[in-house]
Amino acid sequence: MIPAIPFVPSTPFVSLVPLGALADWGFVLGNADYLVGGLAITIALTVASILLGFAAGFPAGLIEVYGGHYSEAFVASLGVFFRGTPIVVIIIVMFFVVGISPAFLAATFALGLRSAAYQSQIFRGAIESVSGGQMEAARAVGLSRLQAIRHVIVPQALRRSIPGFQNEFTIVLKDTSIAFAIGLAELLTRSYDLFVQRTTAVLEIVLFISLLYFLLTFSTNRVLDALRERFVIPGGEG
Amino acid sequence: MSDPLLSVRDLRKSFGEEEVLRGIDFEMERRDVQVLMGPSGSGKSTLLRCVNRLSEPDDGTITLDGEDTAAMDENDLRRQVGMVFQGFNLFAHLTARKNVSLGLRRVRGFSKSETEERAEEELERVGLADQADSYPAELSGGQQQRVGIARALAMDPKLLLFDEPTSALDPELIGEVLSVMGELADDGMTMLVVTHEMGFAREAATDLLFLDDGTILERGPPTQLFESPEHERTATFLRRLTDLEAGQHG
Ligand SMILES: Nc1ncnc2c1ncn2[C@@H]1O[C@H](COP(=O)(O)OP(=O)(O)O)[C@@H](O)[C@H]1O
Ligand SMILES: [Mg+2]
Repeated sequence: MIPAIPFVPSTPFVSLVPLGALADWGFVLGNADYLVGGLAITIALTVASILLGFAAGFPAGLIEVYGGHYSEAFVASLGVFFRGTPIVVIIIVMFFVVGISPAFLAATFALGLRSAAYQSQIFRGAIESVSGGQMEAARAVGLSRLQAIRHVIVPQALRRSIPGFQNEFTIVLKDTSIAFAIGLAELLTRSYDLFVQRTTAVLEIVLFISLLYFLLTFSTNRVLDALRERFVIPGGEG
Repeated sequence: MSDPLLSVRDLRKSFGEEEVLRGIDFEMERRDVQVLMGPSGSGKSTLLRCVNRLSEPDDGTITLDGEDTAAMDENDLRRQVGMVFQGFNLFAHLTARKNVSLGLRRVRGFSKSETEERAEEELERVGLADQADSYPAELSGGQQQRVGIARALAMDPKLLLFDEPTSALDPELIGEVLSVMGELADDGMTMLVVTHEMGFAREAATDLLFLDDGTILERGPPTQLFESPEHERTATFLRRLTDLEAGQHG
Protein backbone atom coordinates (compact mmCIF):
# COMPACT_ATOMS: atom_id res chain seq x y z
CA MET A 1 0.00 0.00 0.00
CA ILE A 2 1.23 3.43 -0.90
CA PRO A 3 0.66 5.82 1.95
CA ALA A 4 -1.34 8.93 1.16
CA ILE A 5 0.89 11.95 0.77
CA PRO A 6 -0.23 14.65 3.16
CA PHE A 7 -0.96 18.02 1.55
CA VAL A 8 1.64 20.53 2.63
CA PRO A 9 1.14 24.03 1.32
CA SER A 10 4.35 25.54 0.01
CA THR A 11 5.39 29.05 0.95
CA PRO A 12 4.63 30.71 -2.43
CA PHE A 13 1.08 29.40 -2.10
CA VAL A 14 0.54 31.69 0.84
CA SER A 15 1.77 34.68 -1.13
CA LEU A 16 -0.86 34.02 -3.82
CA VAL A 17 -3.12 36.33 -1.86
CA PRO A 18 -1.53 39.57 -2.97
CA LEU A 19 -3.35 41.92 -0.68
CA GLY A 20 -2.25 39.91 2.27
CA ALA A 21 1.37 40.54 1.33
CA LEU A 22 1.80 44.26 1.30
CA ALA A 23 5.48 43.90 1.86
CA ASP A 24 5.78 42.14 -1.50
CA TRP A 25 4.06 45.05 -3.24
CA GLY A 26 6.48 47.34 -1.47
CA PHE A 27 9.31 45.26 -2.93
CA VAL A 28 7.85 45.57 -6.46
CA LEU A 29 7.33 49.28 -6.22
CA GLY A 30 10.75 49.76 -4.68
CA ASN A 31 12.17 48.14 -7.81
CA ALA A 32 9.78 49.86 -10.19
CA ASP A 33 12.53 51.97 -11.75
CA TYR A 34 14.52 48.81 -12.45
CA LEU A 35 11.48 47.28 -14.17
CA VAL A 36 10.65 50.45 -16.07
CA GLY A 37 14.25 50.49 -17.29
CA GLY A 38 13.59 46.99 -18.64
CA LEU A 39 10.40 48.28 -20.19
CA ALA A 40 12.37 50.95 -22.05
CA ILE A 41 14.61 48.23 -23.52
CA THR A 42 11.55 46.18 -24.45
CA ILE A 43 10.02 49.15 -26.24
CA ALA A 44 13.25 50.02 -28.03
CA LEU A 45 13.71 46.40 -29.10
CA THR A 46 10.12 46.14 -30.31
CA VAL A 47 10.31 49.36 -32.30
CA ALA A 48 13.68 48.51 -33.84
CA SER A 49 12.52 44.99 -34.75
CA ILE A 50 9.23 46.16 -36.25
CA LEU A 51 11.02 48.79 -38.31
CA LEU A 52 13.60 46.31 -39.58
CA GLY A 53 10.75 43.89 -40.21
CA PHE A 54 8.93 46.51 -42.25
CA ALA A 55 12.02 47.63 -44.15
CA ALA A 56 12.72 44.03 -45.21
CA GLY A 57 9.20 42.57 -45.16
CA PHE A 58 7.47 45.17 -47.30
CA PRO A 59 9.79 44.82 -50.31
CA ALA A 60 9.75 41.06 -49.76
CA GLY A 61 5.95 41.06 -50.04
CA LEU A 62 6.16 43.10 -53.24
CA ILE A 63 8.74 40.72 -54.69
CA GLU A 64 6.60 37.72 -53.82
CA VAL A 65 3.77 39.21 -55.88
CA TYR A 66 5.53 41.08 -58.66
CA GLY A 67 9.06 39.72 -58.67
CA GLY A 68 10.67 37.54 -61.28
CA HIS A 69 10.95 33.83 -60.84
CA TYR A 70 14.33 33.77 -59.07
CA SER A 71 13.89 36.75 -56.78
CA GLU A 72 10.50 35.41 -55.79
CA ALA A 73 11.87 31.94 -55.02
CA PHE A 74 14.75 33.45 -53.04
CA VAL A 75 12.52 35.65 -50.93
CA ALA A 76 9.97 32.89 -50.43
CA SER A 77 12.58 30.44 -49.13
CA LEU A 78 14.05 33.00 -46.75
CA GLY A 79 10.53 33.50 -45.47
CA VAL A 80 9.97 29.80 -44.98
CA PHE A 81 13.26 29.57 -43.09
CA PHE A 82 12.55 32.46 -40.73
CA ARG A 83 8.97 31.44 -40.08
CA GLY A 84 9.87 27.82 -39.58
CA THR A 85 12.75 28.22 -37.13
CA PRO A 86 12.03 28.73 -33.42
CA ILE A 87 12.84 32.28 -32.38
CA VAL A 88 15.12 31.08 -29.57
CA VAL A 89 17.26 29.30 -32.13
CA ILE A 90 17.39 32.37 -34.37
CA ILE A 91 18.41 34.66 -31.56
CA ILE A 92 21.10 32.29 -30.27
CA VAL A 93 22.50 31.86 -33.76
CA MET A 94 22.59 35.63 -34.31
CA PHE A 95 24.43 36.23 -31.07
CA PHE A 96 26.70 33.21 -30.62
CA VAL A 97 27.19 31.93 -34.16
CA VAL A 98 26.97 34.99 -36.41
CA GLY A 99 28.51 36.94 -33.55
CA ILE A 100 26.43 40.10 -33.77
CA SER A 101 26.99 42.28 -30.75
CA PRO A 102 25.91 43.95 -28.56
CA ALA A 103 23.07 41.67 -27.54
CA PHE A 104 20.52 44.38 -28.36
CA LEU A 105 21.60 44.37 -31.99
CA ALA A 106 21.58 40.57 -32.20
CA ALA A 107 18.06 40.53 -30.74
CA THR A 108 16.95 43.22 -33.19
CA PHE A 109 18.20 41.18 -36.14
CA ALA A 110 16.61 37.98 -34.88
CA LEU A 111 13.23 39.51 -34.09
CA GLY A 112 13.36 41.89 -37.04
CA LEU A 113 14.11 39.29 -39.68
CA ARG A 114 11.60 36.87 -38.25
CA SER A 115 9.03 39.67 -38.25
CA ALA A 116 9.99 40.53 -41.84
CA ALA A 117 9.10 36.98 -42.78
CA TYR A 118 5.64 37.41 -41.27
CA GLN A 119 5.16 40.97 -42.44
CA SER A 120 5.94 39.93 -46.00
CA GLN A 121 2.94 37.61 -45.81
CA ILE A 122 0.72 40.36 -44.44
CA PHE A 123 1.72 42.62 -47.33
CA ARG A 124 1.55 39.88 -49.92
CA GLY A 125 -2.02 39.10 -48.87
CA ALA A 126 -2.94 42.78 -48.86
CA ILE A 127 -1.47 43.34 -52.32
CA GLU A 128 -3.22 40.28 -53.71
CA SER A 129 -6.52 41.46 -52.25
CA VAL A 130 -6.42 44.63 -54.37
CA SER A 131 -8.47 43.72 -57.42
CA GLY A 132 -6.75 43.09 -60.73
CA GLY A 133 -8.91 45.79 -62.28
CA GLN A 134 -6.91 48.42 -60.39
CA MET A 135 -3.64 47.45 -62.02
CA GLU A 136 -5.36 47.14 -65.37
CA ALA A 137 -6.95 50.58 -65.16
CA ALA A 138 -3.64 52.13 -64.12
CA ARG A 139 -1.82 50.50 -67.04
CA ALA A 140 -4.63 51.52 -69.42
CA VAL A 141 -4.04 55.17 -68.55
CA GLY A 142 -0.39 54.74 -69.51
CA LEU A 143 1.26 54.35 -66.12
CA SER A 144 4.23 51.99 -66.10
CA ARG A 145 4.04 48.88 -63.99
CA LEU A 146 6.22 50.46 -61.33
CA GLN A 147 4.14 53.64 -61.27
CA ALA A 148 0.97 51.59 -61.00
CA ILE A 149 2.39 49.67 -58.06
CA ARG A 150 3.62 52.83 -56.40
CA HIS A 151 0.55 55.05 -56.90
CA VAL A 152 -2.34 52.63 -57.08
CA ILE A 153 -1.56 49.25 -55.53
CA VAL A 154 0.69 50.12 -52.58
CA PRO A 155 -1.49 52.85 -51.08
CA GLN A 156 -4.45 50.48 -51.03
CA ALA A 157 -2.44 47.50 -49.84
CA LEU A 158 -0.89 49.44 -46.95
CA ARG A 159 -4.34 50.41 -45.71
CA ARG A 160 -5.46 46.82 -45.84
CA SER A 161 -2.41 45.57 -43.97
CA ILE A 162 -2.97 47.65 -40.82
CA PRO A 163 -5.03 44.98 -38.99
CA GLY A 164 -2.43 42.30 -39.69
CA PHE A 165 0.25 44.72 -38.69
CA GLN A 166 -1.46 45.34 -35.34
CA ASN A 167 -1.36 41.65 -34.69
CA GLU A 168 2.29 41.40 -35.67
CA PHE A 169 3.20 44.26 -33.39
CA THR A 170 1.70 42.51 -30.38
CA ILE A 171 3.51 39.29 -31.25
CA VAL A 172 6.89 41.00 -31.58
CA LEU A 173 6.35 42.89 -28.35
CA LYS A 174 5.71 39.71 -26.45
CA ASP A 175 8.53 37.85 -28.14
CA THR A 176 11.11 40.44 -27.07
CA SER A 177 11.23 38.45 -23.84
CA ILE A 178 13.18 35.79 -25.76
CA ALA A 179 16.18 38.16 -25.59
CA PHE A 180 16.52 36.64 -22.15
CA ALA A 181 18.34 33.78 -23.89
CA ILE A 182 21.28 36.05 -24.70
CA GLY A 183 21.19 37.97 -21.44
CA LEU A 184 19.60 41.17 -22.67
CA ALA A 185 18.04 42.80 -19.63
CA GLU A 186 14.63 43.65 -21.00
CA LEU A 187 11.46 43.71 -18.94
CA LEU A 188 10.93 39.98 -18.45
CA THR A 189 14.60 39.27 -17.73
CA ARG A 190 14.60 41.91 -15.05
CA SER A 191 11.42 40.67 -13.46
CA TYR A 192 12.98 37.21 -13.37
CA ASP A 193 15.98 38.72 -11.54
CA LEU A 194 13.60 40.15 -9.01
CA PHE A 195 11.55 37.12 -8.23
CA VAL A 196 14.64 35.01 -7.86
CA GLN A 197 15.63 37.45 -5.15
CA ARG A 198 12.26 37.30 -3.48
CA THR A 199 10.21 34.25 -4.28
CA THR A 200 7.18 35.40 -2.30
CA ALA A 201 6.72 38.35 -4.70
CA VAL A 202 6.27 36.26 -7.88
CA LEU A 203 2.60 37.07 -8.35
CA GLU A 204 3.02 40.76 -7.58
CA ILE A 205 5.85 41.07 -10.07
CA VAL A 206 3.94 39.16 -12.74
CA LEU A 207 0.87 41.32 -12.23
CA PHE A 208 2.95 44.46 -12.40
CA ILE A 209 4.77 43.61 -15.61
CA SER A 210 1.55 42.28 -17.16
CA LEU A 211 0.09 45.69 -16.52
CA LEU A 212 3.06 47.28 -18.25
CA TYR A 213 2.73 44.94 -21.26
CA PHE A 214 -0.99 45.57 -21.37
CA LEU A 215 -0.61 49.35 -21.31
CA LEU A 216 1.93 49.11 -24.08
CA THR A 217 -0.14 46.85 -26.31
CA PHE A 218 -3.30 48.75 -25.61
CA SER A 219 -1.91 52.18 -26.37
CA THR A 220 -0.10 51.04 -29.51
CA ASN A 221 -3.21 49.36 -30.81
CA ARG A 222 -5.21 52.52 -30.22
CA VAL A 223 -2.61 54.47 -32.18
CA LEU A 224 -2.85 51.97 -35.04
CA ASP A 225 -6.66 52.10 -34.87
CA ALA A 226 -6.47 55.87 -35.19
CA LEU A 227 -4.10 55.48 -38.12
CA ARG A 228 -6.50 53.12 -39.83
CA GLU A 229 -9.41 55.47 -39.29
CA ARG A 230 -7.38 58.39 -40.52
CA PHE A 231 -6.70 56.59 -43.79
CA VAL A 232 -9.98 54.78 -44.23
CA ILE A 233 -11.41 55.26 -47.72
CA PRO A 234 -14.75 57.09 -47.42
CA GLY A 235 -17.67 54.89 -48.39
CA GLY A 236 -15.30 52.00 -49.09
CA GLU A 237 -15.06 48.56 -47.60
CA GLY A 238 -11.32 48.51 -47.13
CA MET B 1 -4.11 62.20 -93.98
CA SER B 2 -6.15 59.62 -95.83
CA ASP B 3 -4.69 56.96 -93.54
CA PRO B 4 -7.31 55.42 -91.28
CA LEU B 5 -6.84 56.22 -87.59
CA LEU B 6 -6.91 52.56 -86.66
CA SER B 7 -6.29 49.61 -88.86
CA VAL B 8 -6.51 46.01 -87.72
CA ARG B 9 -5.20 43.32 -90.08
CA ASP B 10 -5.57 39.59 -89.61
CA LEU B 11 -5.49 39.89 -85.82
CA ARG B 12 -5.18 36.54 -84.06
CA LYS B 13 -5.12 35.68 -80.39
CA SER B 14 -5.28 32.36 -78.58
CA PHE B 15 -5.48 31.43 -74.95
CA GLY B 16 -3.94 27.99 -74.65
CA GLU B 17 -5.60 25.75 -77.20
CA GLU B 18 -8.52 28.08 -77.78
CA GLU B 19 -8.17 30.52 -80.66
CA VAL B 20 -10.33 33.42 -79.51
CA LEU B 21 -9.66 35.85 -82.36
CA ARG B 22 -9.37 34.13 -85.71
CA GLY B 23 -8.31 36.80 -88.15
CA ILE B 24 -9.96 40.14 -87.45
CA ASP B 25 -9.88 42.87 -90.09
CA PHE B 26 -11.36 46.33 -89.81
CA GLU B 27 -10.52 50.00 -90.01
CA MET B 28 -11.64 53.12 -88.25
CA GLU B 29 -11.57 56.61 -89.66
CA ARG B 30 -11.24 59.64 -87.41
CA ARG B 31 -14.58 60.52 -85.79
CA ASP B 32 -15.93 57.04 -86.42
CA VAL B 33 -18.06 55.44 -83.77
CA GLN B 34 -18.00 51.72 -84.31
CA VAL B 35 -20.15 49.49 -82.20
CA LEU B 36 -19.09 45.91 -81.63
CA MET B 37 -21.75 43.36 -80.76
CA GLY B 38 -21.63 39.64 -80.38
CA PRO B 39 -22.44 36.76 -78.07
CA SER B 40 -20.70 36.45 -74.73
CA GLY B 41 -17.31 34.80 -75.15
CA SER B 42 -17.04 35.75 -78.82
CA GLY B 43 -13.85 37.73 -78.14
CA LYS B 44 -15.07 41.35 -77.92
CA SER B 45 -13.06 42.22 -74.81
CA THR B 46 -10.03 40.41 -76.14
CA LEU B 47 -10.22 42.45 -79.33
CA LEU B 48 -10.30 45.76 -77.42
CA ARG B 49 -7.48 44.64 -75.17
CA CYS B 50 -5.33 43.79 -78.16
CA VAL B 51 -5.78 47.32 -79.45
CA ASN B 52 -4.19 48.89 -76.34
CA ARG B 53 -1.98 45.85 -75.77
CA LEU B 54 -3.36 44.91 -72.38
CA SER B 55 -3.29 41.61 -74.25
CA GLU B 56 -0.48 40.99 -76.71
CA PRO B 57 -1.74 39.83 -80.11
CA ASP B 58 -0.29 36.55 -81.38
CA ASP B 59 -0.41 37.56 -85.00
CA GLY B 60 -1.54 40.33 -87.30
CA THR B 61 -0.88 44.04 -87.49
CA ILE B 62 -2.53 46.93 -85.71
CA THR B 63 -1.63 50.45 -86.69
CA LEU B 64 -2.66 53.63 -84.95
CA ASP B 65 -2.33 56.81 -86.96
CA GLY B 66 0.00 54.98 -89.33
CA GLU B 67 2.22 53.63 -86.56
CA ASP B 68 2.61 49.92 -85.89
CA THR B 69 1.39 49.52 -82.31
CA ALA B 70 3.60 46.47 -81.75
CA ALA B 71 6.63 48.72 -82.23
CA MET B 72 5.37 51.47 -79.94
CA ASP B 73 6.20 51.92 -76.31
CA GLU B 74 3.18 50.34 -74.61
CA ASN B 75 2.73 53.19 -72.15
CA ASP B 76 2.81 55.69 -74.98
CA LEU B 77 0.27 53.64 -76.93
CA ARG B 78 -2.06 53.51 -73.93
CA ARG B 79 -1.74 57.23 -73.40
CA GLN B 80 -3.17 57.60 -76.91
CA VAL B 81 -5.87 54.94 -76.60
CA GLY B 82 -8.19 55.42 -73.65
CA MET B 83 -10.21 52.60 -72.13
CA VAL B 84 -13.47 52.56 -70.20
CA PHE B 85 -14.24 49.38 -68.29
CA GLN B 86 -17.40 47.47 -67.59
CA GLY B 87 -16.58 47.44 -63.86
CA PHE B 88 -15.43 51.12 -63.87
CA ASN B 89 -12.16 50.21 -62.11
CA LEU B 90 -11.78 53.63 -60.53
CA PHE B 91 -8.79 53.93 -58.22
CA ALA B 92 -10.59 53.15 -54.98
CA HIS B 93 -8.35 55.21 -52.70
CA LEU B 94 -8.57 58.39 -54.74
CA THR B 95 -11.27 61.04 -55.10
CA ALA B 96 -12.89 61.59 -58.48
CA ARG B 97 -10.54 64.53 -59.01
CA LYS B 98 -7.46 62.47 -58.16
CA ASN B 99 -8.62 59.65 -60.39
CA VAL B 100 -8.54 62.05 -63.29
CA SER B 101 -5.35 63.76 -62.09
CA LEU B 102 -3.10 60.74 -61.70
CA GLY B 103 -2.44 60.22 -65.39
CA LEU B 104 -2.13 63.95 -66.02
CA ARG B 105 0.60 64.22 -63.41
CA ARG B 106 2.44 60.95 -63.88
CA VAL B 107 1.98 60.15 -67.53
CA ARG B 108 1.62 63.52 -69.18
CA GLY B 109 3.85 65.36 -66.72
CA PHE B 110 1.46 68.26 -66.14
CA SER B 111 2.27 70.74 -63.39
CA LYS B 112 0.07 70.82 -60.30
CA SER B 113 -1.93 73.82 -61.48
CA GLU B 114 -2.33 72.51 -65.04
CA THR B 115 -3.48 69.19 -63.60
CA GLU B 116 -5.96 70.87 -61.29
CA GLU B 117 -7.43 72.88 -64.13
CA ARG B 118 -7.63 70.02 -66.61
CA ALA B 119 -9.16 67.59 -64.09
CA GLU B 120 -11.80 70.16 -63.29
CA GLU B 121 -12.61 70.57 -66.98
CA GLU B 122 -12.94 66.86 -67.59
CA LEU B 123 -15.21 66.36 -64.60
CA GLU B 124 -17.32 69.24 -65.79
CA ARG B 125 -17.52 67.66 -69.22
CA VAL B 126 -19.14 64.55 -67.73
CA GLY B 127 -21.32 66.64 -65.43
CA LEU B 128 -19.56 65.80 -62.18
CA ALA B 129 -17.74 68.97 -61.19
CA ASP B 130 -19.73 69.03 -57.95
CA GLN B 131 -18.60 65.50 -57.04
CA ALA B 132 -14.88 66.12 -57.55
CA ASP B 133 -14.00 65.38 -53.95
CA SER B 134 -16.10 62.24 -53.59
CA TYR B 135 -14.50 58.83 -53.41
CA PRO B 136 -15.64 56.12 -55.83
CA ALA B 137 -17.55 54.21 -53.18
CA GLU B 138 -19.54 57.36 -52.43
CA LEU B 139 -20.73 57.64 -56.03
CA SER B 140 -23.49 55.81 -57.90
CA GLY B 141 -22.47 53.39 -60.63
CA GLY B 142 -23.45 55.87 -63.30
CA GLN B 143 -21.36 58.60 -61.69
CA GLN B 144 -18.43 56.24 -61.31
CA GLN B 145 -18.55 55.37 -64.97
CA ARG B 146 -18.64 59.04 -65.91
CA VAL B 147 -15.52 59.59 -63.80
CA GLY B 148 -14.01 56.63 -65.66
CA ILE B 149 -14.75 58.41 -68.93
CA ALA B 150 -13.29 61.69 -67.61
CA ARG B 151 -10.16 59.83 -66.54
CA ALA B 152 -9.74 58.46 -70.05
CA LEU B 153 -10.50 61.79 -71.72
CA ALA B 154 -7.89 63.61 -69.66
CA MET B 155 -5.16 61.83 -71.58
CA ASP B 156 -6.33 63.41 -74.86
CA PRO B 157 -6.69 60.03 -76.51
CA LYS B 158 -6.94 59.63 -80.26
CA LEU B 159 -9.24 56.69 -79.74
CA LEU B 160 -11.49 55.62 -76.88
CA LEU B 161 -12.33 51.99 -76.20
CA PHE B 162 -15.48 51.15 -74.25
CA ASP B 163 -15.95 47.61 -72.97
CA GLU B 164 -19.63 47.22 -72.10
CA PRO B 165 -19.66 50.52 -70.20
CA THR B 166 -23.26 50.19 -69.07
CA SER B 167 -23.67 46.44 -68.47
CA ALA B 168 -22.90 46.71 -64.77
CA LEU B 169 -25.37 49.53 -64.22
CA ASP B 170 -28.90 49.54 -62.90
CA PRO B 171 -31.26 50.36 -65.79
CA GLU B 172 -32.09 53.82 -64.44
CA LEU B 173 -28.39 54.79 -64.47
CA ILE B 174 -27.63 53.70 -68.02
CA GLY B 175 -29.05 56.82 -69.63
CA GLU B 176 -26.65 59.29 -68.02
CA VAL B 177 -23.64 57.32 -69.24
CA LEU B 178 -25.02 56.86 -72.75
CA SER B 179 -25.78 60.55 -73.03
CA VAL B 180 -22.19 61.45 -72.11
CA MET B 181 -21.01 58.98 -74.74
CA GLY B 182 -23.42 60.48 -77.27
CA GLU B 183 -21.98 63.94 -76.61
CA LEU B 184 -18.47 62.64 -77.13
CA ALA B 185 -19.53 61.12 -80.42
CA ASP B 186 -21.07 64.45 -81.47
CA ASP B 187 -17.83 66.21 -80.49
CA GLY B 188 -16.00 63.99 -82.96
CA MET B 189 -14.29 61.54 -80.63
CA THR B 190 -13.26 58.30 -82.33
CA MET B 191 -14.84 55.49 -80.37
CA LEU B 192 -14.83 51.70 -80.49
CA VAL B 193 -17.69 50.58 -78.29
CA VAL B 194 -18.69 47.13 -77.15
CA THR B 195 -22.30 47.47 -76.11
CA HIS B 196 -25.65 45.84 -76.53
CA GLU B 197 -27.53 49.10 -76.22
CA MET B 198 -29.45 49.18 -79.50
CA GLY B 199 -30.58 52.76 -79.01
CA PHE B 200 -27.01 53.99 -78.73
CA ALA B 201 -25.98 51.94 -81.75
CA ARG B 202 -28.83 53.34 -83.85
CA GLU B 203 -28.19 56.93 -82.91
CA ALA B 204 -24.43 57.18 -82.59
CA ALA B 205 -22.81 54.36 -84.55
CA THR B 206 -21.30 54.94 -87.96
CA ASP B 207 -20.85 51.18 -88.23
CA LEU B 208 -21.95 48.11 -86.44
CA LEU B 209 -19.67 45.08 -86.33
CA PHE B 210 -21.08 41.69 -85.45
CA LEU B 211 -18.42 39.47 -83.93
CA ASP B 212 -19.11 35.77 -83.83
CA ASP B 213 -16.79 32.93 -83.02
CA GLY B 214 -13.63 35.02 -83.32
CA THR B 215 -14.36 36.66 -86.65
CA ILE B 216 -16.33 39.67 -87.81
CA LEU B 217 -19.24 37.91 -89.39
CA GLU B 218 -21.01 40.99 -90.62
CA ARG B 219 -20.62 44.76 -90.66
CA GLY B 220 -22.44 47.81 -91.92
CA PRO B 221 -24.48 50.82 -90.92
CA PRO B 222 -26.65 49.94 -87.91
CA THR B 223 -29.95 50.30 -89.74
CA GLN B 224 -28.80 47.85 -92.38
CA LEU B 225 -27.79 45.23 -89.84
CA PHE B 226 -30.89 45.72 -87.76
CA GLU B 227 -33.30 45.66 -90.71
CA SER B 228 -31.74 43.39 -93.27
CA PRO B 229 -28.86 41.34 -91.93
CA GLU B 230 -27.18 39.00 -94.39
CA HIS B 231 -26.48 36.19 -91.98
CA GLU B 232 -28.98 34.16 -90.09
CA ARG B 233 -26.77 34.28 -86.95
CA THR B 234 -26.72 38.07 -86.98
CA ALA B 235 -30.48 38.18 -87.43
CA THR B 236 -31.08 35.76 -84.56
CA PHE B 237 -28.74 37.59 -82.23
CA LEU B 238 -30.18 41.02 -82.95
CA ARG B 239 -33.75 39.78 -82.80
CA ARG B 240 -33.05 38.37 -79.35
CA LEU B 241 -31.59 41.73 -78.28
CA THR B 242 -34.62 43.57 -79.60
CA ASP B 243 -36.94 41.27 -77.71
CA LEU B 244 -34.91 41.73 -74.54
CA GLU B 245 -35.08 45.51 -74.82
CA ALA B 246 -38.76 45.45 -75.58
CA GLY B 247 -39.22 43.31 -72.49
CA GLN B 248 -37.21 45.73 -70.35
CA HIS B 249 -38.73 48.94 -71.52
CA GLY B 250 -42.24 47.75 -72.23
N1 LIG C 1 -6.84 36.01 -69.88
C1 LIG C 1 -7.50 34.95 -70.41
N2 LIG C 1 -7.05 33.70 -70.23
C2 LIG C 1 -7.68 32.63 -70.77
N3 LIG C 1 -8.80 32.72 -71.48
C3 LIG C 1 -9.32 33.94 -71.70
C4 LIG C 1 -8.69 35.11 -71.18
N4 LIG C 1 -9.43 36.18 -71.56
C5 LIG C 1 -10.45 35.69 -72.29
N5 LIG C 1 -10.39 34.36 -72.37
C6 LIG C 1 -11.33 33.50 -73.12
O1 LIG C 1 -11.47 34.03 -74.40
C7 LIG C 1 -12.82 33.95 -74.83
C8 LIG C 1 -13.31 35.32 -75.24
O2 LIG C 1 -13.37 36.13 -74.11
P1 LIG C 1 -13.79 37.66 -74.17
O3 LIG C 1 -12.91 38.37 -75.12
O4 LIG C 1 -13.82 38.15 -72.79
O5 LIG C 1 -15.24 37.57 -74.78
P2 LIG C 1 -16.42 38.63 -74.72
O6 LIG C 1 -15.88 39.92 -74.22
O7 LIG C 1 -16.93 38.69 -76.12
O8 LIG C 1 -17.46 38.06 -73.82
C9 LIG C 1 -13.60 33.32 -73.69
O9 LIG C 1 -13.77 31.95 -73.96
C10 LIG C 1 -12.71 33.52 -72.51
O10 LIG C 1 -12.88 32.47 -71.60
MG1 LIG D 1 -16.32 41.08 -72.52
